Amino acid sequence: MQLAEEVPLMRLERIAKTFPNGLVALRGVDLEIARGKVYGLLGANGAGKSTLIKILSGTFQASSGQIIWRGSPLQWSSPREANQMGVATIHQHIPLVPTLSVIENVFLGDSGRWRRDASLHARYSDICARTGYWLAPNRLVSDLSIGQRQMVAIFQALGTGAELIVMDEPTASLATEEREVVYRIVRHLSRVENKAILFVSHFLDEVMALTDSVTILRDGEVVVRADTCDLDETRLAEAIVGRQLIALERSPVTQVSANAPVQLELRNLASPDKLDPVSLKLAAGEVIGIAGLLGSGRSELLHAIFGADPDATGDVLVFGKAVRRSTMAAVRAGIGLVPEDRMGQGLVPAFEIWRNTTLPALERVSSRGMFPRREVERTRGEEAIRRLKIKAPSPDSLVTELSGGNAQKVTIAKWLFSDVKVFLLDEPTSGIDIGAKTDILLLVRELAAAGKSVIIVSSEFEELLAVSQRILVMRDGRCIAERPAHETSEHELILLAGGQSAACTDAPQSTKSV
Amino acid sequence: MHRRAAINEECVTMNLSTSKTQPVQSLDGVSAQPALGRSDAAASGVQQPSLSLRRLLSVREMGVYYALIFLVLVLSAITAYTGRANYLTINNITNVLYQSSLIAMMAVAMTVILITGNFDLSVASVAALSAAVMVGMADSIGFWPAAFLGVFVAMLVGVLNGAIVQYLGINAFIVTLGTLTAIRGVVQIVTDGRSLTVSNSDALSAMQTFESGRVHIAWALLVVGIALATRGLLVASGSRRAGRGITLPVFTIVAGVCLIAMSLLGGSDLTVQKPVIYMAAFTGVVWFVLTFTTTGRRVYAVGGNPEAARLSGINVKRYKMAAFILCSGVAGVGGVLFGSRLGAINPTAMQGEELAVIASAILGGTSLYGGSGSVIKTLAGTLLLVTLSNGFNILDLGANYQGLIEGTVIIIAAAIYTVGGSRRGGKSH
Repeated sequence: MQLAEEVPLMRLERIAKTFPNGLVALRGVDLEIARGKVYGLLGANGAGKSTLIKILSGTFQASSGQIIWRGSPLQWSSPREANQMGVATIHQHIPLVPTLSVIENVFLGDSGRWRRDASLHARYSDICARTGYWLAPNRLVSDLSIGQRQMVAIFQALGTGAELIVMDEPTASLATEEREVVYRIVRHLSRVENKAILFVSHFLDEVMALTDSVTILRDGEVVVRADTCDLDETRLAEAIVGRQLIALERSPVTQVSANAPVQLELRNLASPDKLDPVSLKLAAGEVIGIAGLLGSGRSELLHAIFGADPDATGDVLVFGKAVRRSTMAAVRAGIGLVPEDRMGQGLVPAFEIWRNTTLPALERVSSRGMFPRREVERTRGEEAIRRLKIKAPSPDSLVTELSGGNAQKVTIAKWLFSDVKVFLLDEPTSGIDIGAKTDILLLVRELAAAGKSVIIVSSEFEELLAVSQRILVMRDGRCIAERPAHETSEHELILLAGGQSAACTDAPQSTKSV
Repeated sequence: MHRRAAINEECVTMNLSTSKTQPVQSLDGVSAQPALGRSDAAASGVQQPSLSLRRLLSVREMGVYYALIFLVLVLSAITAYTGRANYLTINNITNVLYQSSLIAMMAVAMTVILITGNFDLSVASVAALSAAVMVGMADSIGFWPAAFLGVFVAMLVGVLNGAIVQYLGINAFIVTLGTLTAIRGVVQIVTDGRSLTVSNSDALSAMQTFESGRVHIAWALLVVGIALATRGLLVASGSRRAGRGITLPVFTIVAGVCLIAMSLLGGSDLTVQKPVIYMAAFTGVVWFVLTFTTTGRRVYAVGGNPEAARLSGINVKRYKMAAFILCSGVAGVGGVLFGSRLGAINPTAMQGEELAVIASAILGGTSLYGGSGSVIKTLAGTLLLVTLSNGFNILDLGANYQGLIEGTVIIIAAAIYTVGGSRRGGKSH
């Protein structure tokens, strides 16, 4: 212990990373990590956080600089080596084997000989006891919720007996209660077990509440390194973005004029087991926010509107004309969907930015509607980069080379160049930094001002309040409430959306478990 | 994930100094050095052309061409050294082309289906079925109606394959493994286990005009060569004016010049069998559609990420169905050509050929996961396989080693594409 106080557990000296394609991700980062402390690592998308984490976890090797581990310099060249030295990493996209059980996943890297080992069960119970979170060891990972999978990943890190635990946005996809569990575990590990924790997050409030010290990266460099108690959220936000945040919330949303034409109408749109009938009218220039937690039916509603749900019933009308139930018909009618899972549903990974941006409206950039003109398409790509401030060297960059927020902007850019009248945005701001978020929310306002209709889904209700005129609250596949944005508050929306499921009746106030 | 793969690969090649891809990779490494000092990747616009030229010339992009050229050089050297007849005669080259034609056509269609993210093992059985239908019916209804019937039956099998895969959601590998066996069974039923032959002399002569006979191609080659070279020069001057590098046009110009040279050298001796023409025309059309049309772009999108394609308003099922029907239809045409060649068919005809078809596509760098592939490279893959077996014949090496060598070549090719395969895809030249 005493020694550990003097020699920091890990010290990074001038770590730099340049990718073969010329992209400079890190330009000499210094960092000191001591036992028993929680370090917050913040930064905008593309600031170099993920790269730094991958260097710590042994996935990448630094181009220059050195890692000093317990006083002696070293280079690890594989995640396994890093693991054995005592560094465990919990990645943002949880890499578990869905066909194996919880316990098998937790001890996946273990070199034991037998698949069923009593000692493993003992160790598993021990981990559960330490964290105070119990998960049946023999359940298959594929049966678990996202939150539970995150716990399995944390167990995995604990199972290796690591000294330093790196958590890459562990709470990004979690519900509120699950987040609390993660916070509790983090506190326990650092205070009681004296582990060092590097905590990466986009949520400023949790960084403020949880960490002892904060490091902020911008463009591959450390711009702020300070004790958390000397900082506040505003300063964090400023440092991350590098410019003064536009106070979106303050400026009022323009109201739609009463005689604006109805662009989208839903008549009893429903989907068996997923969505109860919804009827809705959306005027030109109107933004409707959908407040709801994961699994509340909000994505299902958007997919049903877009014709992407083959089981859906009811009618979708654009300008009073019924739209056939297929994504093709929806696109032709002028509906555009920005899906929740940008890499899985929004982008073709093998395509460059320009090929992705022109995919939904390929005819418009083709001569005689048949032969795509690459020059025009590349110009479109350049336009998208400029208009949405996408951080990419050129439209020829593959979308897989972009960071989350920039990839998200490409999925939005896909719909900006055709005659889309109704935008359906499914969590357009999840997992991206404040700068990109602001850009996207401003774009939503811009679209509305240009007479487009927007339906936006978000877990962060303050964003909905900032851009929409009306807010629908969804729970268990039903619209349970509708509120004008200026008459409701984040607090009310959280209460409405977060009410406990099936057991309770329609009265949303009956629960306090938020 | 792709990015991580790319980095891993870089580390691997750094560590393995004896790696086969090392010369090319180390060039990449050198070019990355000055990048260290650059502050902004966007400022590197000037340097990109040379980088992308290097990438285009890398083993993983051009490997199949290198392998083909290398093999031809080795074979010519050995034949010259051992005092055999010259290997690079027009006769031998056109012979290789002729032997490749059926496989190549099917492999090109296979490439399309692989790009859409599916798989078709049943092609050889379907071809045999089409041949059996054609040979069986030619006596009674004449060659052309019988040929169309054969191709139609083949396309029906494609519809069946596609419907089961797309609408029941069963893996294409399993479905077509089933139809591979089942359709072969149908062939046995149709032929009653015996060889069928055509006896009607009208039908036989129609077959001959369709399948055999040689065509002069010197003029055609000259025209195509000049067209390619001109287009290449135009594009090159255009992109130079636009301040971007010349990468692609170089290949177009080189290809055009080669064709012109061949037509001038060959002169009136330059003839090929008709199936070669069919193959070249079909490959050309598919290449054009994949490279220059909206349909082609969507085919790549459908394979690259079906969900993203669907949510971009593309009818994914229709594209995937069409690929199945195309693949089986082309197999049907192959079967008709095969049946016409002999005027007969036996129930085990073309058995096992589906493996050569798929191997060609793999040698050409087509991804089994969909979203990338090039029909021109597939064509080179077929030529590579056929040249290998042709070389074995010419050198009298016996068939014993042939399987071993061919298998090894396929695995090496796959290894190069996998280990080096981070920045492919969507490219179709």
